[in-house]
Amino acid sequence: MSFALDDTIAAIATAPGEAGLAVVRVSGPSAIAIADRVFRGGAPLAGAAGNTLHHGWLAGDARVDEVVAALFRAPRSYTREDVVEFSCHGGSMPARSVLALLLASGARLARPGEFTLRAFLHGRLDLVQAEAVAELIGARSESMQRAALSRLGGQLSREMRAQLEALADALAEVEARVDFAEDVGGVEVPAELVARIGAIGGALRAHLRGAAWGRAMREGVPVVIVGQPNAGKSSLFNRLVGEDRAIVADVPGTTRDRVSATLEREGALFTISDTAGLRETSDGVEALGIARAHAALEDSAVAIWVLDGSRALDDADRAIAARLAGRRVLVALHKADRGEVVSEDGVRTLLVPAGAAGAAAESVAVVRTSAVTGDGVELALDALARVAGFVAGETLTVERQAHTLESACAALDRAAAVGAAGEPGEIVALELREALSALEELLGQRVSDDLLERVFSRFCIGK
Amino acid sequence: MSDLRWDVIVVGGGHAGCEAAHAAARLGRRTALLTVKRGDIARMSCNPAIGGIAKGHMVREIDALGGLMGRVTDRAGIQFKMLNRGRGPAVWSPRAQCDKQRYSDEMLALLDGVAGLDIVEGVAQRALLEGGRVAGLELMDGRKLACDALIITPGTFLNGLIHIGDRQLEGGRIGEHAARALSECLGELGLERGRLKTGTPPRLHRDSIDWSALDEAPGDERPEPFSHWSGELRVDQALCWVTHTNARTHEVIRANLNRSPLYSGAIRGTGPRYCPSLEDKVVKFPERLSHHLFLEPEGRDVPEIYVNGVSTSMPEDVQLEFIRTIRGLERAEMIRPGYAVEYDFVLPHQLHATFEVKRIPGLYLAGQICGTSGYEEAAAQGLLAGINAARAQRGEGAFVLRRDQAYIGVLADDLVTREHVEPYRMFTSAAEHRLLLRADNADERLAEIGAAIGLLDESHVRAVREKYAAIAAESKRLENTWVRVESNGLAAAETGAERVVRASDWVTRAEGTVAGLATLGVACALPEVWASALEVRLKYRGYIERQQKTAASALALEEAAIPESLWEDALDGLSSEAREKLVRWRPETVAQASRIAGVSPADVAVLLVYVKRRSAER
Repeated sequence: MSFALDDTIAAIATAPGEAGLAVVRVSGPSAIAIADRVFRGGAPLAGAAGNTLHHGWLAGDARVDEVVAALFRAPRSYTREDVVEFSCHGGSMPARSVLALLLASGARLARPGEFTLRAFLHGRLDLVQAEAVAELIGARSESMQRAALSRLGGQLSREMRAQLEALADALAEVEARVDFAEDVGGVEVPAELVARIGAIGGALRAHLRGAAWGRAMREGVPVVIVGQPNAGKSSLFNRLVGEDRAIVADVPGTTRDRVSATLEREGALFTISDTAGLRETSDGVEALGIARAHAALEDSAVAIWVLDGSRALDDADRAIAARLAGRRVLVALHKADRGEVVSEDGVRTLLVPAGAAGAAAESVAVVRTSAVTGDGVELALDALARVAGFVAGETLTVERQAHTLESACAALDRAAAVGAAGEPGEIVALELREALSALEELLGQRVSDDLLERVFSRFCIGK
Repeated sequence: MSDLRWDVIVVGGGHAGCEAAHAAARLGRRTALLTVKRGDIARMSCNPAIGGIAKGHMVREIDALGGLMGRVTDRAGIQFKMLNRGRGPAVWSPRAQCDKQRYSDEMLALLDGVAGLDIVEGVAQRALLEGGRVAGLELMDGRKLACDALIITPGTFLNGLIHIGDRQLEGGRIGEHAARALSECLGELGLERGRLKTGTPPRLHRDSIDWSALDEAPGDERPEPFSHWSGELRVDQALCWVTHTNARTHEVIRANLNRSPLYSGAIRGTGPRYCPSLEDKVVKFPERLSHHLFLEPEGRDVPEIYVNGVSTSMPEDVQLEFIRTIRGLERAEMIRPGYAVEYDFVLPHQLHATFEVKRIPGLYLAGQICGTSGYEEAAAQGLLAGINAARAQRGEGAFVLRRDQAYIGVLADDLVTREHVEPYRMFTSAAEHRLLLRADNADERLAEIGAAIGLLDESHVRAVREKYAAIAAESKRLENTWVRVESNGLAAAETGAERVVRASDWVTRAEGTVAGLATLGVACALPEVWASALEVRLKYRGYIERQQKTAASALALEEAAIPESLWEDALDGLSSEAREKLVRWRPETVAQASRIAGVSPADVAVLLVYVKRRSAER
């Protein structure tokens, strides 16, 4: 993490979600210069006075959005630096496009709380506020980083860690060649190692484009509906994603066998997928559907377990509960209009160990729903965001992660290119270190301290 | 107390002690250098060479600051080599084989010529404190010497224990005593100590080696001096030789592993992984059927040949047996067996980056006692300790080099911020700003600083200024000179295509060199070494600028000092692991804090807030 005050930072300042306006803020010594690179108004902002508003368009190669730019000159601004705030059209896409444009023009994506941190470092906040800043940073940066990553699915997090390991190994090997050329011998960076570096970049980029990040950014957090056949999954699905809420319906392609829809709640996007009912079957086609349902569950961040609450729990329910243990689960005690046989506590104890508190307890919620009356559907949606653990601003964290990953990939590309060109090992190492520190930041983890450990375990070093 | 009184007393005349004593005396402090025997000043206890990768960089830095090691090496060197000349510029490293006796003699002669420096023979017993700070030193013979600062540099002598097979001898070097009382004294002062191990290979008799069977390893045709102030070296270069271990050598070692103190459990201290014993190499890398060895003379007129690559603590008979399996050494005779030595060190998180012990004002430690290994690492610490002891007495501020200024800065910072489980040795990979810290620009980085401290002569700094002004002027000339070159590397005659480019841009091409400018009619008039420095600047300009930018952006953290009293606060918002580590280490800047394992970026941000709040309160 950088605490320099000499670069210029940018971020979406408004809460995510549907709204009339969104504000993107740029702050730092080059804020006005960077803004002028993309702002097409009556006159450049550089010539304008502070505390003024300017209408215009933001454009890179093409027009991005019509905006109003609010110009604040240091020290009369929130951060006491030069600040430009662009009010653009609401919804997450326009603001994201504006932000992307500013980042491409030289701004750096702000970290959580960084505007406030700058305001404080420039002496704008008083001491009482300073304590709040400390808590803000402590609470938001790492816990949020980790939480957002794990929410995107355990599989992703595991694979990222595997790539981080591979990268650390590659760096160790390059470093061994730099520091111990006599022992290791050979060329600066051999083709095999260049290929490995390229492969790491490729694997990371695949995550960025496809899979969890892309999906979370485009489509939202993956949520899967599971339950026994005829528990009422599809009727609840239709209620949850009712016409007025669905942003994208019928995601085509591989999900042909399961229906998905996207909705927004508490500023976060969720993709909800309906699946085949889970039960023992001898029917080949149905078994295939069930296998896919299991796979969907594996990929999901949150499961909605639809359970017929009007009849007693049976062994099949308990089998599903066993599969769901330890996950984030919203239980819908469905068909509430027909009766309330299963108790909320009764189903909860199947999923959460007795006496569990904190995260374990909060990751499970139980709501009574009815597709017939529509009762409980709003409650279920509120509970969904809660169970997913989302707090306002978290989608920005996901965005930041994607951005950090992008910079890691770019550094890896450069590393492979200079390696292939036969540049010295220390140049390749410089790029690899940049990629490594981006990945470490992403995963909230440090590995560089064991660099030498990796070298010595692999190479016979020493005269 | 006694009427024998100095401002600074340095205990130990090794590589750390010599630099410390010289620096303190040069900065106007009356200084005593305590050593067991005058003749043992600056002994090279292990290999007969100075420099090598990252180490050679440090010697250049010591020299640019006004220290001694580079100058003495140039006088005592018998073979000079610039390592890695064909590789990247960050790893070009000077190295020199030395005549060990000559090295001691030259160092002694230099120290004898320093005004205000006395060399005193004696053995230290314990530090004397008054009111919690250093007041003097008591010797084994009962003498009490008064001083305001004590710099302790005992090397492997601090509670040293030598292992040769199952034989154990007290001592820091074979045939010499161990400093047990001194280590106990440090324990009584409340310093947390640990145990480390190092080793040295056997010395063979020159006349017992079949030289005709070995490959020669010569020095550079034109030796480049270590010191910036040595001028051209005129040296008759000695030879080294190369040979290899083989399957039989490894068999002998495997068959006798039970007699190795490393494997029997007799040695508790942790050894350096980068300088493993041959038995370690054979066990840990069984797939390697052969390891290369260098035979290095310990001087021009002495019979000892150092077997670089065969550090071992096997019993003498096993050593001789496996040595004789090696080509060229079939009839070798050992003058001294190899051995391992265990010794005490003080966990260096208890030190300021000035090498002063945090809880005892006036007490400084330098060299292996701080957990390092190597002559160069020791010398660098001695230099910093000597400078700081003098500056403290002169009422001047702490002298600390940043990580982007010098390997010496990286060394000091790593020592006080990291956890150390094995002897610390400098590598280029330890320096995140490696491209800035080159051996070719140590003078540019540090000469002004050395002069400002008062250690480097004004005439030397002037020479450095002239050198870099000439390089800058030549760089500018090349930028403003246009040359015709073939397009795309094809001969102009074939394609008829020619392009006009800046001479400086041509140098950055793969085929471009400053020397090659002559073929384009714009020959560079700089001396060869300066021209090579210019070429590095041109070729790697983009990367160098990137590292400069990163270093500059980290400056705010480097300069954010943490007031000692902050550690009394509750520090809400820090993770519990970070709080625990920070209170143990008590880092002096936010940047130091950020390098302690377990302190996350979020913790650093929180810490920064507390620091800023403190400075606002004041």
